[in-house]
Amino acid sequence: MTNTDTAMLAASIQPPPQKKGFSFGAFWDSWGIASVLVVLVIVAVILEPDFLSMGNIQSILRESAYLGIVACAMTFAIMNGTFDLSVGGQLALVSVVTLFAYGVGGTPLALAAAIGTGIACGLINGALVTALRVPPFVATLGMLFVFRGIAYVLTQNGPAVLPYSEVKSPFAQIGSLNVVGIPLTFIIMLLVFGVGYVVLRRTGTGRKVIAFGSSPLAAKFSGISAARIRLFVFVILGLSVGIATLTYITRVWTADGSAQDGFELRVITAAVLGGASLQGGKGSLVGTFSAVLLVSVLNDLLVSMGVGASYQRIILGCVLIVALAIDGLRTKFPGSSALRKALSFRNKRVATAG
Amino acid sequence: MKHTKMWLMAGAITATAALALTGCSTGDAPAGGDGETKTDITVGFSVYDMQYEFFQEMEAGTKAAVEANGWDYVLHDEKSDENEMVTGAQALLDQGVDVLIISPFKPDALGPIIAKAQELGVPVIVDDIGGGGTPYDAIVVSDNKDGGVQAADFIDAQVKELGLTSKKVVSITCEPSAVYAAQRNIGFVEQIESLGYEVVTELSGNSKAEEAYTIMKDALAKDPDVAGVFACNDPMAVAAANAISDAGKNPTTDIVTVGYNGDGEALTAIDGGTLSATVAQDPKGMGALTVDLAKKLLDKEDIEFGNADEREVYQPVTLITKANVADFLK
Repeated sequence: MTNTDTAMLAASIQPPPQKKGFSFGAFWDSWGIASVLVVLVIVAVILEPDFLSMGNIQSILRESAYLGIVACAMTFAIMNGTFDLSVGGQLALVSVVTLFAYGVGGTPLALAAAIGTGIACGLINGALVTALRVPPFVATLGMLFVFRGIAYVLTQNGPAVLPYSEVKSPFAQIGSLNVVGIPLTFIIMLLVFGVGYVVLRRTGTGRKVIAFGSSPLAAKFSGISAARIRLFVFVILGLSVGIATLTYITRVWTADGSAQDGFELRVITAAVLGGASLQGGKGSLVGTFSAVLLVSVLNDLLVSMGVGASYQRIILGCVLIVALAIDGLRTKFPGSSALRKALSFRNKRVATAG
Repeated sequence: MKHTKMWLMAGAITATAALALTGCSTGDAPAGGDGETKTDITVGFSVYDMQYEFFQEMEAGTKAAVEANGWDYVLHDEKSDENEMVTGAQALLDQGVDVLIISPFKPDALGPIIAKAQELGVPVIVDDIGGGGTPYDAIVVSDNKDGGVQAADFIDAQVKELGLTSKKVVSITCEPSAVYAAQRNIGFVEQIESLGYEVVTELSGNSKAEEAYTIMKDALAKDPDVAGVFACNDPMAVAAANAISDAGKNPTTDIVTVGYNGDGEALTAIDGGTLSATVAQDPKGMGALTVDLAKKLLDKEDIEFGNADEREVYQPVTLITKANVADFLK
């Protein structure tokens, strides 16, 4: 298949124009999680009057950034029919390298190191998956251990630290600065989602990401084009980890191999909760954004209500199961408008592949 | 196009909502210490992880002391996570606590917490683990060096009592980054060498039982006539005692075994005759001591430091043997 064919295929997969009247399926797809977030915030305010204090809201927004930035990139990956289990290891490794770089060359070198190391990790994953044809699950799971292992080796004489003397440095300020009351880390997250949206919905590359995810057959026939897109996806995952590290390490000031254990699962939870389907081809950046805030608000609420750590884990696990269940149910028992979408979707796919 | 409008709307809603909602805030007046001991003091305590007995005891001691002063008490559990530690401790400061007591999961992550506390003028007292090289107001640690000395004296006394002829001992250390725990073996080695003994093996068990078992097994293979072993924590001591039993010797009459911490398993072992002694920390006492220091700081009184350079204040430790274990067994 040529590039024009792929573009045509991509265009043909858009759902048919919506009929007049309210369609719950369409509403849930775009605004479902955002609505749940609004409801949760209202519940939070009722249960904890201090929830709306400036400090608390700022804390939630500041906290969400590193999870959100990587979840944005993970949404791309899931829409492309793949995912990356190594982001937790990447975060640990990039954090360690960034702090070391800061010790050597100050803020500019630290920024360069974060972005550079992130992209390098992404390239390694991408090469494994595209050039060596290792399945993404296996490749990224293996690299998770490798990245963490390297971080442990680098910090065997002690964790990488931002010394207290640097408290007023611009680097440390990234994590604590508020611009007109909004935390800088959150602003960075908004920028990342903004750019991500433009790339995903407005560029050919973005359309291809979705197209190849929703039709593995088209991807197989497109060969190099699909492989290049997948490499691109892994590189932007690495880049997102680099940016996220800057919002994370400037808040915590220390890192070693054990940093953020389980991060990759939280990121995937957020993306799937936001509407990304693990089947590929389907996802929503608005949904992911809302889901990240949802998880942060839920966490904050549970902590301020004094819910024990064990119960918090159970609740967050249930949230993930609910997210995956909705995803599964959507493909098995779709609502009527979604069913129509699904049927015409499948028809078009059969037609072009035949 | 409708998608662009959707995004602009989403961005605008988030931004304005965040700002507008803060306008409806309950208006938190930051409570700053201004010299007089107010009656409405709130103490925030951020703890390493409430699932460990050591910290449960510490929390109980801290809470009791705070309430005895008629103050308010807020607890935060770091759940062994440095991200949670930073976020939660900063949240306590945001809530307006007058004093922050913190038992840090990762001392190196204290930086941002102390930075915020200093901004708000809130004193910070660290309870055990470490200070991360940050400008906390005080740190409470067990007198670990003295604990090592007590262990050395005990081994010496036992060796004489049991009529053992060897002057060889083994020292098993904790994980290298636990700088305060390292003082235990430093104190032990100094004292035991001054009493005329030779430390034939000193290795790190990384605070893990399995590693200590292997170290003891290998040490016995190298020097079968070892007289005593001191391990930096109880799990490692019990493992070393097991290694001794498995080698066919008795871990109280053939070789003197001493641990550290006063964990339940060690007390049971001492009572059952499979461990000679342990050095008990007093987490409840440490908790109470931090509150005592908090009061001094709020009253702007001077604190007497055990080590003024590092602003360390020591909590005494107790040697537990078969003779007094009954008092400590619950």
